[in-house]
Amino acid sequence: MATITCREFLAYLEPWMEGERPQDVQAHLRTCRHCSSVVSDLELIQSEARSWSVTEQDAPERVWTSLRAQLEQEGLIRDAVPARGDAAEAQAPRAGWFSSLFPRLPRPVLAGAYLAALVAVAFALSGPVNKRVNEARWLKGTQISTSPLSAQLNFAEQNSNSYVARSNPDVTASLHQNLALVDKYIALCEKSVSEEPQNEVARDYLYEAYQQKADLLTQMTERGENVQ
Amino acid sequence: MSTSRFVPAQWLPKTNWKTAGLLIPSLLLCSAVAAGPRRQEQHFKVAAHPVITIHNPNGLITVKAWTKSEVMVISTPASDRIEVDAEQMGNRVDVSTRELSDSVAPDDMRADFQINVPEDAELQIHNDAGNVSVANVLGDMNVETVAAGVDLEDAAGYLTVKTVGGSFTCMRCAGRIEASSISGNFRLLDLRSYHVWAQTSSGNILFNGEFLPNGTYSLKNYSGVIEVRFSAGDSFDLSATSLKGKVNNEAKLTPSAHQHHFMPKWGNALFGTFNEGRAKIEMTSFDGTINILKRD
Repeated sequence: MATITCREFLAYLEPWMEGERPQDVQAHLRTCRHCSSVVSDLELIQSEARSWSVTEQDAPERVWTSLRAQLEQEGLIRDAVPARGDAAEAQAPRAGWFSSLFPRLPRPVLAGAYLAALVAVAFALSGPVNKRVNEARWLKGTQISTSPLSAQLNFAEQNSNSYVARSNPDVTASLHQNLALVDKYIALCEKSVSEEPQNEVARDYLYEAYQQKADLLTQMTERGENVQ
Repeated sequence: MSTSRFVPAQWLPKTNWKTAGLLIPSLLLCSAVAAGPRRQEQHFKVAAHPVITIHNPNGLITVKAWTKSEVMVISTPASDRIEVDAEQMGNRVDVSTRELSDSVAPDDMRADFQINVPEDAELQIHNDAGNVSVANVLGDMNVETVAAGVDLEDAAGYLTVKTVGGSFTCMRCAGRIEASSISGNFRLLDLRSYHVWAQTSSGNILFNGEFLPNGTYSLKNYSGVIEVRFSAGDSFDLSATSLKGKVNNEAKLTPSAHQHHFMPKWGNALFGTFNEGRAKIEMTSFDGTINILKRD
């Protein structure tokens, strides 16, 4: 069976992570420790990413060790263990190891390594295998950004309602009608975002609806200040 | 620099006692009726590009351009519990309505205005309810309302209109137009504008105007209908997306010559070029309908 080179394997990497298993690629991975190690790392990152939907935890030590070994093997970084046997530094936790890289590495190498890690993570996150994980992350991200905003706006709404009590009835009615309309759109957008968390159009509309609500409450408050 | 006169005062009779017997009762009747609205006319000499600001809670504001280097403000307050202040600061004329006591009923907080300005005037108008109508003014304009409708005719410059529920009509406008609302309908008719940005949530948007070369036209709503009319000679690059609604198109589009469109994965989308694609049209709706129709 015709096998492929390491360079050719790169072209198969993405389909492989999406679940495709061509026989020539399988054969190459059986014989090439380098490429099988890359695949192992990416699969590890991918599986770790799944758990992010529950709690966003740091990747375990083995991921970082594996990534570090990979970067060392490719010559992108040098051994980070201190040459003069500084035991305290050698036993530092992962965060210390990662931060200790920064002063040691030339900036282009650091940038390259960082980019490689980012590409790997981004790639792992972009596959359909992680579709549900991504959706959960998008949803969580949207909720994180909108929940405090929603709470603040609801608080502002309670205050502004009393402000506009003495305004022109037509104006007050218009403000309240439109506030109800914006609230309705917020609810519909939130429903759309929860159904399709990665739908950027729905997210944009949701953020705009919040912006409109904020503008509206500002106007109501300003009017209240005018009449008081 | 202003002159001020009250209309009832000009009609004092100079006549004999016989006619006075008839006139005085009727004048008393008129003055009783006129006790509320007091029409006031003021004139202000201005230089080129004057700025006129109008702050009014409720009423009809009509602004027209004329050839004089002068601003004329005719105000009619609905009651004597409010007062209209019009004063000049350099080349700026500020017009505002203020209450004379703390307990003014909302219905009394109304004043109508008829204002004439030089055609190069810049306008800043704030009117919560009623209506704002501006014609033939070529300077920049900023109009903000809550429930009041806004009608602009033959305006130019940088036009920004913001309403909460008021509708907006722009006829034969040129220059740059930016309009936003929550529930107001927009009618943009016979425009010759190179930049139009219109966004309303539940309102409809009708655009029936020229698509100028290199012009950009962005129309966006949440629900409602977005409708553009085109003629055979128009030239535009079009992008229309409705997330949950329909896109109806009568234009024979060719695949876009400009490969910059990011094809959305959601909703109904239409991209393409009509003729040479000189103007750029973007229409976006959440669950509204987008119509691209031939002009009659």
